[in-house]
Amino acid sequence: MRRYFLRKILIYLLTFFVAVTIDWMIPRFMPGDPVMNMLSKAGSMHAEAQEVMYGYLTSSFGLDLPVWQQYVNFWKALFHGDLGISILQFPKPVIDVIKSALPYDLLLLIPSILLSYYAGNKFGAYAARSKRMDNTLLPIGYILTATPYMWLGILLGWVFAIILNIFPISGAYSYALKPALSWTFIKSVLEHWFLPFMSLFIVQFGGWAIGMRNMIIYELEADYAHYLEALGAPRKLIRRYAYNNAQLPQLSGLALKLGVIVAGAMSTEIVFSYPGIGYLILMAIQNSDYYLLQGCFLFIIIGVLLANFIIDIVFVLVDPRTRLGMQGGAS
Amino acid sequence: MRKVVLTILSLIMVASFVLIGCASTAADTPAAAAESTTAEEAAPVAEEAAMEEAAPAMVDYPRAETLYTMGKQWGPATSWNPLQQGSYAMGTIGLCYETLFLYNPLTDEYIPWIADSGDWVDDTTYQLKIKEGVTFSDGEALTADDVIFTLEMGKNFQSVYYSELWAWLDSVEKVDDYTITMMFTNPLYQEWANYLYSIAILPQHLWEGLTEEEAVVGANQPPVGSGPYMYESADEAKVAWVRNDSWWGIKGLGLEVAPKYIVDINNISNNAALGMVLQGQVDLDNNYLPGIASVINGGYGITTYYPDEPYMLSANTAWLVMNLTKAPMDDAAFRRAVSFAIKVEDIVSKDYGNIVVPANSTGLLPIWDQFVDQDVVDELGFSYDPDEAKAILAAAGYKDIDGDGFVEAPDGSTIALEIGCPNGWSDWMVAIQIISQNLKEVGINVEPVYPDYSALTAGLYGGDFDMVINNDAQMSNTVWSYYHFIFYHPIKEQMISGTGNYGRYENQEVFDLVDQLDATPITDVEGMKAIISQIQTIQLTDVPMIPLWYNGVWAQTDNTYWTNWPSSAEGAPKYVPATWNGYWNMGAVLMLTELEPVAAE
Amino acid sequence: MSEPKKKNEFLYFAMRNGKLKVGAVIVFIFVLIAIFGPKFARYPLNEFVAGGPNPPSADFYMGTTAYGQDVYAQFVYGLGTTFIVGIIGGGLATLLGMLVGFVGGYKGGWVDEVLNIITNIILVIPTFALLLIMVAYLKLRGVLIESIFIGLTSWPWAARAIRAQTFSLANREFVDLAKLSGMKTMKILFREIAPNMMSYLFMTFILQFGGAILTAATLDFIGLGPTQGVSLGLMMNWATNGSALLLGYWWWFVPPGIAITAVVGALYIMNVGLDEVFNPKLREM
Repeated sequence: MRRYFLRKILIYLLTFFVAVTIDWMIPRFMPGDPVMNMLSKAGSMHAEAQEVMYGYLTSSFGLDLPVWQQYVNFWKALFHGDLGISILQFPKPVIDVIKSALPYDLLLLIPSILLSYYAGNKFGAYAARSKRMDNTLLPIGYILTATPYMWLGILLGWVFAIILNIFPISGAYSYALKPALSWTFIKSVLEHWFLPFMSLFIVQFGGWAIGMRNMIIYELEADYAHYLEALGAPRKLIRRYAYNNAQLPQLSGLALKLGVIVAGAMSTEIVFSYPGIGYLILMAIQNSDYYLLQGCFLFIIIGVLLANFIIDIVFVLVDPRTRLGMQGGAS
Repeated sequence: MRKVVLTILSLIMVASFVLIGCASTAADTPAAAAESTTAEEAAPVAEEAAMEEAAPAMVDYPRAETLYTMGKQWGPATSWNPLQQGSYAMGTIGLCYETLFLYNPLTDEYIPWIADSGDWVDDTTYQLKIKEGVTFSDGEALTADDVIFTLEMGKNFQSVYYSELWAWLDSVEKVDDYTITMMFTNPLYQEWANYLYSIAILPQHLWEGLTEEEAVVGANQPPVGSGPYMYESADEAKVAWVRNDSWWGIKGLGLEVAPKYIVDINNISNNAALGMVLQGQVDLDNNYLPGIASVINGGYGITTYYPDEPYMLSANTAWLVMNLTKAPMDDAAFRRAVSFAIKVEDIVSKDYGNIVVPANSTGLLPIWDQFVDQDVVDELGFSYDPDEAKAILAAAGYKDIDGDGFVEAPDGSTIALEIGCPNGWSDWMVAIQIISQNLKEVGINVEPVYPDYSALTAGLYGGDFDMVINNDAQMSNTVWSYYHFIFYHPIKEQMISGTGNYGRYENQEVFDLVDQLDATPITDVEGMKAIISQIQTIQLTDVPMIPLWYNGVWAQTDNTYWTNWPSSAEGAPKYVPATWNGYWNMGAVLMLTELEPVAAE
Repeated sequence: MSEPKKKNEFLYFAMRNGKLKVGAVIVFIFVLIAIFGPKFARYPLNEFVAGGPNPPSADFYMGTTAYGQDVYAQFVYGLGTTFIVGIIGGGLATLLGMLVGFVGGYKGGWVDEVLNIITNIILVIPTFALLLIMVAYLKLRGVLIESIFIGLTSWPWAARAIRAQTFSLANREFVDLAKLSGMKTMKILFREIAPNMMSYLFMTFILQFGGAILTAATLDFIGLGPTQGVSLGLMMNWATNGSALLLGYWWWFVPPGIAITAVVGALYIMNVGLDEVFNPKLREM
């Protein structure tokens, strides 16, 4: 058990180290001059004044140290939660920009992942029950999982926001409200959350349903299932075993899929102008806001690492074999 | 399993709501507390917080009392500093801070605002009288001292955008509390008139003692100005202003602004923006919305300045900027051939659906029509004529030697050029596809490319490009600003944004003429015309940039909640309906005094 | 069981497998459209042939864009690009996965350990975000570069799966035999091990193919796709920028999405079908 976790943690630390190093490189190799970009938005300004401004701004981002020192400083600053200053939202610190975006990602990602995982698995197990169900319901699953998130998002927006006019098409809450802990506000947040959530939920749901269906069929054809059947065990019991066993590969599938889900969330946020980290990344890229991009990337890494770690723990809790295996010292 | 999932879910939901809901109080209050130095400022913030708690279930910005706008903010507002020209939050100058005059480009009028009057008492002395009774929103009076303080900030701080004013302004003297005299060494009348309606007057009692960096780079939140609106709130998606019911203009000008709140929503994707306009969520939308022509008069209650084509006023000229430091763009004959080869009509009709108009050969905006020297245009102007383009190319020695359908330069070298615009700017992307096709038809090999915005502008400013579409010069009070842009001098290694002359055209004769124009009194229209005519002769002979079409003042106005929008209709207000920076003080603030609420609930 | 017989057996089951047939037919139809479609285009790609938006008609099979470009031409050329991205991106990812998986699974020891760590790292790093950044570095981007980037970032799960398979094959008798006869490692890998998991590799490729198409579509849609050319994702991007749906030009926005969904969905269905063909235990269902 300890060895297993030590090994895992070592890999996570290594990943974190590599990822942070990549992250550090982001602003240093990006094309374009962010300060110039900032100024170019300032519009018609006299060149003399602009040159002075340019000097001011470049010094406030300070990139005049030797490279190794910049790297060391980056790590130091990181542990102090200092991710630099956003260019897009100058002079707001990157960490503050991300802090205000993060809740929206949690709100979107965690319910959509958990609910679609749960519902998809149930549905997949249900569909695997009979050939007729399998043949009629499964194509739907395939179509859903093959749908590009943003395309679905735009279709949903068109139908529910424009044609039916029951959900808003953009933003995180009504433009007539200031954030407050009131029912009006929470209701508004939920209304704006629904369509992006549905886009994510529907596509993921298809994936889990198919995954589960395939797994169950594998399991039902496994030797133990045939053996149980031969012993005259009720079909229901065999199915329950199959379902339980199929959950494990599904769970590791979740870990593998996290990256794709994050990508899906990003494009969905862009479609609905939903102010999560995905939307920030797009804005950061469009405005050459290296520092914001760096911060967003870092947070995604931390999020995905954490999620992986949680899945590892759940895996151990769910699967007795892993526990036994670890005691034996094998990995 | 189910229980665990449900518990985690509900925990996450609650936590997110708390984080989101508390975001405002967390973000707003410290900033306000840190920035405000006086007791008067802290008070309204506290009051606001109290009100919020008292009525939590109410909508903050009731639909009927709020003007919703969109089109200016390309990201969350972060600055309310009127010295940060261009990046300040929507309305900072115009709604919150005010200028001495307004300038209405549609009527070519300077409207005294804070100023009561302003006159040149002799060639080098300008006397300004300001109104009595003008106050800042914190109750302090706005006097000659504040005006002098604001102007002198440009003398003290190099990085203030109007610091170069002091190269030709000698001194500013206070005559009495409401009278100021400016002494000029070399009065640039045109530019001065521009400053009169673009420099926002700052409260000396709050800005005094700030360092240069604090003054120029600081966020200035919350801002305290003299205007009809005060800072209300700001978050990631919007900026909100609230009407100042004790605004000096109610008595001083006899004007009242109609909307209680103005909420400016950050720009979102074209698709979502159009969706919001169709849903009636935006009263004044200043985005370019593709296909808008089919929505106007489509039963949505959306109107534009003109009821028919081109629907929009013209805001600026879109040019084809060519890099004159590179062959063959360094050859005037080649540039002239290009100007004849482009079928702007196709861009106007196919790309824009006729919501823009083709530019005149000089590129002067319609508001400057009187300065177009028609004789010069008749003689040297250009229009779509591919045969003429081919003839010019042939005469200048451009021939297709290797038979690939494209001409080679007179020295035999191949010509393979790129025309660029920022990736994602859909209207311009289509425009350069059309231009590329047009140029290929006359034998010039030009491929459209769509680099990202930052890469494109870096190339443009640094002189590393072939051809690029640009429209950096906005409408203004003076043709000088237009020619200052085309013939910006001196040429530098980095022609940074807004300066102009990215193609690096060098011609001292025309540079001198532009400077001479700057020093011509704005009342001397004949003198201006004489100089401009000479400039136009050079412009049309050398073709440093090719004017293509006039980008519109994109303005979709919704009549569901507010009516009496500016329009070309008889009796309708004649103002430019734009929320962009620099437009509120070009008369748009007067639009607010003309708006009428449709119906109270 | 001799080789030819085995092949015939697979073919027999393949012909009888409904999922495989349906999936293969759909993919095949789209391949045909991508190859022969351009020959039937009545208008050149991206040229402004009509005055404005036109619904589908005999003149414009699939209507025109808001700017009067032929949607059919964009669609058939874009479909081609999409398949190219799938083949190059998916192919590269499969190859890299094979390389890492074979070597790691066969060699074992510290080589395996190192490769495993690298795989795990890339597996955990959100590659799409990485892809966005990589793509944003380039001033001008082509389809080829896009495909290569996609391939470079999506191989890890294939590597992991192939490693596991190789690992189980590496200790079989015929491999031991080959080792004893003095065969070189690479030769063993490609002569002995690879053929025995051909079906598995093929299925991996199919999944990577579909994944690459979806990733490319997302990139294109966000506006970080190729700066030249046309693809289904770019079509969606253009249509969305032109507010196609809101203005009623559904024929511009809907087809590219349906094509992507159909191709990728069909690939997945094919995959399940193949699984049933290659895995006798699953056939009974």
